[in-house]
Amino acid sequence: MEISRRMLTAAIGAGLLAGAIASTAAAQTVESIKSAGTLKVGMLVDFPPFGIMNTSNEPDGYDADVAKLLAEELGVKLQIVPVTGPNRIPYLQSNQVDVLVASLGITEERAKNVDFSAPYAGISVGVFGGKDIQVSKPEDLSGKTIGVARASTQDTGVTKIAPADAKIQRFDDDASAIQALLSGQVQLIGVSNVVAAQIETAAPGKYEQKIQLSQQVQGIAVRKGSSELLTAVNAFVDKVKASGDLNKIHEKWLGSPLPAFVTDAKK
Amino acid sequence: MYNFNFEPVLAGFDKLLVGAALTIQLSVGAMLIGLIVSIFCAWGKTSGPLPLRWLVNAYIEIIRNTPFLVQIFFIFFGLPSLGLRLTPNSAALLALVVNFGAYGTEIIRAGIESIQKGQVEAGTALGLSKLQIFRYIVMKPALRTVYPSLTSQFIYLMLNTSVVSVISADDLAAAGNDLQSATFASFEVYVVITAMYLVMSVAFSTLFAAIQKVAFKYPLSR
Repeated sequence: MEISRRMLTAAIGAGLLAGAIASTAAAQTVESIKSAGTLKVGMLVDFPPFGIMNTSNEPDGYDADVAKLLAEELGVKLQIVPVTGPNRIPYLQSNQVDVLVASLGITEERAKNVDFSAPYAGISVGVFGGKDIQVSKPEDLSGKTIGVARASTQDTGVTKIAPADAKIQRFDDDASAIQALLSGQVQLIGVSNVVAAQIETAAPGKYEQKIQLSQQVQGIAVRKGSSELLTAVNAFVDKVKASGDLNKIHEKWLGSPLPAFVTDAKK
Repeated sequence: MYNFNFEPVLAGFDKLLVGAALTIQLSVGAMLIGLIVSIFCAWGKTSGPLPLRWLVNAYIEIIRNTPFLVQIFFIFFGLPSLGLRLTPNSAALLALVVNFGAYGTEIIRAGIESIQKGQVEAGTALGLSKLQIFRYIVMKPALRTVYPSLTSQFIYLMLNTSVVSVISADDLAAAGNDLQSATFASFEVYVVITAMYLVMSVAFSTLFAAIQKVAFKYPLSR
């Protein structure tokens, strides 16, 4: 039963994908967007703080703010199309959206299917701790207690680098791990920068990132071969990085300046 | 039909056993310490000085009217701000003792109150000391009377230990969650740990029945 359902899903998915590829019309151009008067942007709405539905049930978040600026830059109206993690690339490929500002991590695999702009956002996972603790490399974790959310990316990352005598305490979620850090039950925690913003709110200036475990930059995606549109989007990303507008959005949603690995990253 | 695959569970079975060992340690530790707490508080509530009665009453009301999950969070996350920092496992033990103590007190108090006043007066007439009266005339028959409800509270305590994984104590439930998140064989893992909890409960019940036969047999033995 389970297998047949999975096969059915796969078959439908493959069908959709084939349809999507078949219908990939001409590459998107700036001209065609301007003549339509609307920029259709695919965006996740279930990925806080990047994409959320706000209290008036409108798409909001980091991605929405970036999309607004992009539409402004092109001088057209913005239409946000909610997409989901698995269907965002098919949406782009089947012409249902013009671009994706959908927290799409730049990976080699995805770059085969879409063209990525320069990074406009990034998620990093790191070990955070009090400013009074001296930790800068994995060996320093020896003898320390580190809280993580069970089975998360940070659990995997910390488990991989920590020496055998480090005590890793696994909590049910990030919130409990943060609580353990704030109450002093653990000396360090492994969390993403997205969650670390909450620590800064709860205890300003007391904690800092000690070790970076992994980082993932996200790019705006356009259909394969839309080089003219991509140039325009890249120019936009460079502009908002230079003007500080992107930094402001990052401050607004993540409570910290745009990280260097996003600012400095070139395509 | 769901295809069961127990191989990943068997591969991590040693971890489950380590977790089960901690569950048993926590249960037995909390039972013994909790029983002492219960007897003391039951004495305090029935025949202690007035301030002690108030204190015991407040303790019972607070613990029996708040969720165990909140109590354990309070002990682990709240007490450090008052200067008491406990490891996850000792915080778990403390929470279980405190929780069991409140329920145990009420059970034993009921037993004490079932003792006829004349029985105690008979003890005084025989010239027994206060401690002897409490031990032989009050506590022993009282415990015999409430033994069944006390043991079911013990079993409940043992099952309650599964909550302690929320403060990262490494009990059986935590070991199960770790294994489940590493293998994605969640159904199989939960089937196995359910069976392990069942085996432990039945084993404890059997043990309690054996203790009852030895400790509370008629005619009364000292």
